[in-house]
Order: sequence, then structure tokens, then C-alpha cells
Amino acid sequence: MSERVSWVPEGVDVGRPSAARLYDYLLGGGHNFAADRALAEKFLQAQPNARTIARLNRAFLRRAVLLMIDEGIRQFLDLGSGIPTVGNVHEIARKADPEAHVVYVDFEEVAVAHSQLILEGDPRATIIQEDMTRPDAVLRSARHSGLIDFSQPVGVLTAGVFHFVPPQADPNSIVAAYRDAVPTGSYLAVSQFTQDLQPEEMAGIVEVMKKSQNPMYPRTKSEIEALFSGFELLEPGIVPTPLWRPEGTNTDDPDRAGIYAAVGRKL
Amino acid sequence: MELPELAARWMHALTPTAYIPLSHAEIEQALLDSLRELPESPESVAYRLVSLHATGPDSLRATIEVLSPTFELPVLARMASAYAQAMRMDAFDQQEEIKVAIVRAKQRVERTLMVSQARFQEVFDSAALGIAITDFTGRCVQANDALAEIVGLESGADVNDRDLREFYHPEDVAALGASYRKVQEGHIDRFRDQRKLVRVDGEPVWVYLAVSVLRDADGRPTHHVTMVEDISELHLLQRNLDHQLLHDSLTGLSNRQHFISQVERQLDGRPITLYHLGLDAFSVVNIGLGQETGDKLLKIVATRLSRFAAEKNAVLARVGGDEFAIMVNADTVTSTVEEIQEVLGEPTFVDDHGIALSASIGVVDRPPAFVTASELMRCANSALRQAKARGKRQWALHDPHDDARRRGKYALAASMPGAWEHGEIEIVYAPVHDLETSEVLGAVARLHWDDLSHNDTMALADSTGLSLPIGRWLLREACAQAARWVEEFGDRAPTLHIALGALQSRDEDLVADVKRALDETGLPPERLRLALDISSVLAGDDNAVVLHDSGIVTALDGFHGGHDELAVLTEVPVRSVITRAPAPDPDSPLHQAMRALIATVHSFGVRFGVDEVHTLTDAEHWRQAGADGVIGLLPALTAEEVTELLATAASPPPAAS
Repeated sequence: MSERVSWVPEGVDVGRPSAARLYDYLLGGGHNFAADRALAEKFLQAQPNARTIARLNRAFLRRAVLLMIDEGIRQFLDLGSGIPTVGNVHEIARKADPEAHVVYVDFEEVAVAHSQLILEGDPRATIIQEDMTRPDAVLRSARHSGLIDFSQPVGVLTAGVFHFVPPQADPNSIVAAYRDAVPTGSYLAVSQFTQDLQPEEMAGIVEVMKKSQNPMYPRTKSEIEALFSGFELLEPGIVPTPLWRPEGTNTDDPDRAGIYAAVGRKL
Repeated sequence: MELPELAARWMHALTPTAYIPLSHAEIEQALLDSLRELPESPESVAYRLVSLHATGPDSLRATIEVLSPTFELPVLARMASAYAQAMRMDAFDQQEEIKVAIVRAKQRVERTLMVSQARFQEVFDSAALGIAITDFTGRCVQANDALAEIVGLESGADVNDRDLREFYHPEDVAALGASYRKVQEGHIDRFRDQRKLVRVDGEPVWVYLAVSVLRDADGRPTHHVTMVEDISELHLLQRNLDHQLLHDSLTGLSNRQHFISQVERQLDGRPITLYHLGLDAFSVVNIGLGQETGDKLLKIVATRLSRFAAEKNAVLARVGGDEFAIMVNADTVTSTVEEIQEVLGEPTFVDDHGIALSASIGVVDRPPAFVTASELMRCANSALRQAKARGKRQWALHDPHDDARRRGKYALAASMPGAWEHGEIEIVYAPVHDLETSEVLGAVARLHWDDLSHNDTMALADSTGLSLPIGRWLLREACAQAARWVEEFGDRAPTLHIALGALQSRDEDLVADVKRALDETGLPPERLRLALDISSVLAGDDNAVVLHDSGIVTALDGFHGGHDELAVLTEVPVRSVITRAPAPDPDSPLHQAMRALIATVHSFGVRFGVDEVHTLTDAEHWRQAGADGVIGLLPALTAEEVTELLATAASPPPAAS
């Protein structure tokens, strides 16, 4: 299946897998290419529970957005939003309040173009093409979009994103820059891969992703806690995704969830 | 099993297989609706499942497992078949979506690329900096017009395919090559350097070079970028400044300085006539109608004269507030003057004021070629003053003879610093004769400039403030010369006499200057006689006393025989006095009086010398009156001449001495 797919336009390098399309595939989406699926197969070998992990992460994002909606948040900044797939933030938020504003941020060309396609003609949601590790540029564009009022609390979402940020990019200072741009009462949601759960499988994933354009950096619970400096962590703190405020009875094994999730409120 | 219970089981089986972005209650409700629909329309249930995104690899299996005990196989088969079709359609939709996304992404990238290429091209084309992109052999791949201009070519295309190194100065090729390599190899990101390029016409041009490297998508260096800033632009700026320096800002005409240099260039060529115009009663306009009106009037005059100058092929300048100068090839003065007056006399209106214009004109016609431009300007100016003195609308021709008298000594004084600087002022040595023995007692060091005597020169120096520096120079140079004579000729070397000017005589640094001159030149103090101006001693200055105490023999110059002067001789330890006076004819009554005076001086133990005694008769008269020595009997000699004289006088046999 590695031959050129006929419906892909000339000039697009579908031979280089992307994390966004890998995630889409794991979630059952069709917005992906052979190279993405080949990488996904390797990913699945290293972590057979990957589909579940993706599903649980996506479900955490949904619950986090809904929690923020309950807390009165009506504007969201979704950092590293990736390929629009099932249950996008604006869809979830609009179900609760059609007036909710969402600004998606991604850097990858195809993800951005795809998002634009989905959001065309939508006055309350947009995608800006920026690197989320450059908060100044992101915040400038977000202000420019006119969709986010930075004097009002903002829901900042980073679901399955920070594990693509290398330590040398200083994740703590990146979060701090966003934190400083939003008022007290704003929320931050973080989910990211950890080696605390299934360290062997995690090491396998790191190895698989090393060769892609999106190498991964799992973090320990205390490293993730450091991201929440200046935030008050909401109950139950930093936990595997299925344990974060689950809906109804939980049947998923938290030890095999791969990803820690947490939501904090800016002090 | 009741349908709601089945729906709950179905939900629990389904949710682990796929992410359905709904709450459990919502999912359960949707599945319950599906169960009710299923027997009638299994296809719509299948489509609902797909739209719910219950599309995981195990979603269909989980569904069949939960539903098979309750529903018949044909119903489930229809549902499964429809599910597969819906999945297929969904996949197509998604593929279509991502295809559009990719096309758009590509278009945007292309658009961005196009814009950035256009931007680059614009920057490249319109940059004031010369820019060249070269491959690593030095071959120019792309160059802009600015670069072409710097190296003297028409357009950037002319530079393409040429080796950029052709334009380096040959001495720079090796050093620049090394720097380019360092950039290419990544040792440095870029380098900047000030270098000389060689234009295609062989002319050198100073430039700043900034060189960096272009890389391909993988970061491999592919080309050099060389930015070239022509810093001889600075020279252009300089030229601009020069224009401002050479032109009058109000009228745009050449200014005085520029005019003089233009005259200078003409002087060696064909004969010229210079007209110096002063507007009549311009100050009346300026004061009466305001300076603004005055300025407008000056511009009008400038415009008219420019027109006139253009017709005449003349050089025009504004050389003063209301003064203009015109240089033409020598012509008929009277008709030109009349033409100028006609041009100025055209009806003139400034701010509704009718103004009658005329000028007084000074003319210098066909000056000799050796006259300097500045002299010419001065002559024209003085002619203009004469014309003005005669009234309005007058003109005057410069008269060289009249002028020479007026110049007088002021011009001389003004030119003295330059003359001194250029070594035109010399030191000469005049012999001092003993009237009794006719022996030469020594040599008086004196200034010599053109036809001026030492005293005239010193008087001029006093009027220009040069007397102190010149006096110090004389002191030092003469001491040095005397020391050389002592070294060469020993006892036969003349004793050095120096007569100091009035200012130097009372200069508080005099003693120090003398000591330094002696120390530095090695002249023994007893070989020096200093004559101080007697006025300084009369004024109570103690230089004579201090010098005497330092072992320097002193004299007082300018002695007239007054009572106060005689009184000074009793107090100040001097060796002699020097006077300048007509020689006392032995037959005249003055002779006796002079004898008495000299006797009185002698009675104080002071010798009596006389300067400016030029004939033997006069010398004899002075001898008879009792004077001891005279200066001026023989003409003063240059140092070389004195040396020569001493050398030849050295030849007599030893017996003679």
C-alpha cells in the first residue's frame, strides 16, 4: 500500500507521516495516507492499546471542554488541534452554547487547510497557522482573529500536544506565556504521554516516533505538574485519562491508558 | 430482552471500539432509536452508526454480537452490508475532504512562495545595495542592476555568468577567497569587509562586502550571497556638500569661493574682464520693504544676470549680500556695462512694489596673467568702492598704480605669517666693527625679508603679533648657527649679537628662552650679546638684570641720550648702548654735544655703539665723537657666506695670528 495514491494532488509529500494523521487513523478517521497508516501499524506493535489510548484522550478533551463550559468558559484556544476529526472542540462547545468561540492553532499545512475547510463561513471559529511553542506569535494572531477577548477567562486546551514539545523548547515557559496572557479564572487542560504507565511500551513508542517528523517526549507526573505552575489543579489531579472525571462506570484499564490528563484553573 | 436493556448493552459493547463524541445517555438514546428502526430499515441504522462514528475496527463485530440473539440474520446481513457501503462512502468523503485540504495547502504554499519570490525580486531589483548570488566556483547566477552599476556595467544581466572574482582587486583575491570558503564551510555565518573592487573600466571603487551563504531545503549550502555597498557614495555625498559649500543657498548662484576658483582657472587662458556689481540702494529696499522683499529682489537679479551670463557665456556669482561678480572673455567694457544696466533696469515688481534697479560696477579689464584671483577680486572691489563714491549707476575701471600705493604695508603685514611659514624670512648676519681697531667684533643676527630692514620687519611683526614667535625663532636659529661656527672655527668665530624687539625684550619668558637656546645649541653664554629694547628697561622690566646675573652680556638698543635713559645706565648692569642717529659732523655744534654724551655713557662704564652706519665717512665722524663700534659698514651676509668667509680667512699662515 505504499504506492502513490491516485487522488493525492501532485507536490504533496504523503510519504512523510504526520502525528496528526496518525491520530486520525487511530481514531478511525480516513484523513490519512499509507505512510501514516504504516507508522500507525508500528505504533500499534509497540503499544497494542493505541486505539483505546487515542479514544480515551479524545474523550478526555470532550469532558474537559464540557467542564470548562460548566464553569462559564465561552472561548477556547485549542493548541496543536491537528486534523479535524470526530468531536472537535467547537462542536462539543456549541452543543452547550452556540455562541462559544474557538480558535484552533496548528502549524502543519494540511491540518490547517483541512481545518479551514471545515470552518469555512463559521464566524465564531477559526484556525491560525502558528507554532504553539511560540506563544507570542500565537497570542498575537489569536488577538488579531478577534474571536478571543483576553480580558475574559479563556479555556486553553493542549490535548496530546506537549509530548511533541522537546525539553529544550522549555514547555514550562511556553505554558507560562499562555498563562500570563489570560485572566484569573481561565482554564488549562493538558494531556500527554507518560513513561509512568507501561514504561516498556512507552519506550517502544518513543523509538517508533523517533524517525517521524514528530518525535515524542513522554513526561513524568511531576514534570507535568510543573506545567501547572500558577494554576490550581482540579480534582482528581494528574491521572490516567479514564480516571479524569469519568462518565458513568469506567471499564477502561487506567494502567494501559498511556496518557496523563489534568485540568487546572488559573489562580 | 427489553429494547432499553439491549440498547444499554449495545452501548457498553460499542463505546470501547470507537470514540463517539457524545455522552453515554445520548449514545444510548441513539441506539435505542436504532433498535426500534432496525427491523424495518436496517440500512438507516447502519448509516446512523457510521455518522455516530461507531466505525472502529471492532464496532460491527460488537454490534452483531449484541444484536444477533434478538434479530434475524437477514436483517443483520442487510445492516452489515449497508454499514460497509456507508463506511465506503464515508471514506470517500474523507478522502475528498483531505484532498481539497491538500490542494488548498499546496496552493497556499505556492501563493506564499510566489509572494515571497515577488518580494525577493522587488527587494533584489530595487535595492540600493549591489547583490550577487554566486555558485561556489564564483560564477554569478544572479545579480542586480545596483551591482552592475557599481562595477560599471549596464544591467544585472551583464554580470550573470561572470566570475565575481574578476571584480576583486588582485591583491584581495586570496584573502577574500579564504573568507568565502569559511562561510561555505560553515566556520562563520557571514563576513563583512571593506575592500576595493575594480570596475570594468579599471577604476577602483571602495565597497563594503557582506557575504553569507544560501542553503537548500536540507540545509546544505548551495550559493554565496554577496552584498556590495558602494561607499564611494560617501564621495557623492561629499560632492553634494561641496555643492552646498560652493553655492549661494538663496539664489543658487556660485558663491565667492567658487567664483574665485573659476577665475583662477581662467587666468592662464584668454584675457578676461571682471565686473563687480553692487546693487544701488539695496539696503533701502531691505530696510524699507523688509528682508523678504529684499531676498525676492536678489532672486530676480540673480535670474536676470543668469540669463545675461548665459548669453555672454560668462561666469556669474553672488559674492556678497548685494554684490555680484561676472567674468567674461575680455570685451568692450563700456558696452557690457551698459548691457548690465539695461538688464537690471527692466521694470521690477516685488510684492506690488515697483523697484528701480541699478548697480555700481567696478571693472578689472585684462589683468596680467600673474595676478592671483584673490588679488583680482580685491582690485574689482576697490574699483567698485570708487564707482560707488561717485554716485548711483556709475562704474570705475581699476587703476593698478593707484592701487599699489594704497596697499602699503598692510598687505605686507598680512602676508608675513605666510612668508615666514614658507621660509621667505631669512636670518642674515651684519658685522660689528670696532671703530678704534677696525676689527670685526662680532655679527648681528637680523631678519631679512624682501627689501625690508631688520627693524622694519620687526615693526611689522609687532603689528601682526608675530614678533614673539619670530623673535624666539631668530634667537634659537642664530644661537645654533653661532655654535656651529664656534665648533668649526673656535676663537675666530664671531660673537653673536642679537637685537630683540620691544615685545620680546619684556617677555617674561625671555630669560628661559635664552637659557634654553644656549642649552640646546651648546653656544657658550659669553659668545652671546643680547640687545634689549631700552623701552623695556625704562618700563621697569628686570630682564636685563636677570640676564646679566645669568652671565649674558647685554646692551640697550634705541638709546637716545635722554635723562631717564642715562639714569637707567647707573642701575642696570649693561655693557653697551646702541643708538641710531645721523653721524655728527665734526664741524657742527652737535658734534660737541654728542662727544659729551658719549663721554657720559663711558663714565658709567658703558660702551657706545651705533647702528645703521653705512659709510666710512660717517664711521670716521662717529669715531671722532668717541663711539666704540658701528654696525652697517658692510652689507649683511647669509650664514653660508659668513661660513665661507671664515673658512677662507682661516688660510693665512699661522705666523700671522
